[in-house]
Amino acid sequence: MEESPLHPFELHNYIPITLGGLDISINKAVIMMWVVVGVITLLMVKASAARRLVPGKLQSLAEMLVDFIRGIIMDTMGKDGMKFFPLIATLFLFILFCNLLGLIPGTYTVTSQIIVTAVFAITVYALSLLLGLMFHGIKFIPAILIPPGTPWWLIPLMMPIEFVSQVARPVSLAVRLFANMTAGHTILGVLFGLAISGGLLIGWLPFAFTIAMNGLEVGIAFIQAYIFTVLTCVYLGDAFHLHGSEDHAH
Amino acid sequence: MPQFESHFFSSLIFWEVVSFAILFFVLYKFAFPGILGILEEREKKIKDSLDQAERHRSDAERKLKEYEAKLNAAAKEADGILAAAKERAQRLLEENEQRLTAEAERIKGDAARAIEQERRAAIQDIRTQTTELALMVAEKVVQRSLNDADHRRMADDALDALAKSPSR
Repeated sequence: MEESPLHPFELHNYIPITLGGLDISINKAVIMMWVVVGVITLLMVKASAARRLVPGKLQSLAEMLVDFIRGIIMDTMGKDGMKFFPLIATLFLFILFCNLLGLIPGTYTVTSQIIVTAVFAITVYALSLLLGLMFHGIKFIPAILIPPGTPWWLIPLMMPIEFVSQVARPVSLAVRLFANMTAGHTILGVLFGLAISGGLLIGWLPFAFTIAMNGLEVGIAFIQAYIFTVLTCVYLGDAFHLHGSEDHAH
Repeated sequence: MPQFESHFFSSLIFWEVVSFAILFFVLYKFAFPGILGILEEREKKIKDSLDQAERHRSDAERKLKEYEAKLNAAAKEADGILAAAKERAQRLLEENEQRLTAEAERIKGDAARAIEQERRAAIQDIRTQTTELALMVAEKVVQRSLNDADHRRMADDALDALAKSPSR
């Protein structure tokens, strides 16, 4: 039987566990999450423990990542956004290392599971709504559904459109990451399948492509983590810098 | 697609939330404060160093200006001292010259006076001796022919002539 290119995404329960009727069995994706948490902890805590003014390699890498996230937050949310730094940095590091470690052959890409990206996306979106309501009260809801400066007679048209765009936020956030990770690994799977079935005579060509694709995938892994983080910052930033909130006040 | 097999969802959600929570806690507690702290510390250090460098530079510039001014003043002073010394030397030279001239003048005058005195004395001497000689001659002449009236008159004439003759 020909192996499906989607085969690498299949999960099998290694250790079946149930907790109060909830199935929390250990499978490959769960083990990868632990590995990711372990790798990030090792890197960041060790780098933080060094605390040298002239950093070593490890500290430089960790500082580069932290400074990068700080830059994103400063650009999209301003100084107020630094309150969310721990949350956003953890999110970025978790997604980045899920993406990157998943590229190592034999491992599993946690972010190629739609449910994993969906949980992050829905949590981020829910958090942005919650923050909006906390900062601006109930008028936050009409404010995000009616763009500032809309003429009164356009309101019935604008509200459904804005509603759809709001709903699209978590959906697109989740699907973008999941689809990119799935597509990349599927292409790698297909190319590698070709390399195997092509044999030595012609198989080197798709094999060379898998190597090139893997390089590209590293870039995509980073870019997708970056996009997810930037959009998170933008959504959270929207919550407390309500578009045109000053205009409404006058 | 295998990703849509919903019977894995519960375990994935559970472990995702647990892993994320643990990671968040660990990083929040042990990693981020340290790394953010060291980043801020370094930024501050760099800023301080730059400020300090700027301060040192302006200090150095100020000092340079000071030294240049001092150097100029010193050069001016040296010029002044040199000019004064030259002037003094010139004056001394002139004074010396005047003094020497006067001295020479005085010595010359003294010498001339002494010569004049000697000359006078010599003339006086000559005159005295001439008179004595004349008197002696006259005496001899007188002694030989006192009675001869002609000779007496001749002696008188000779004495007159001698007395009338100029002193030199």
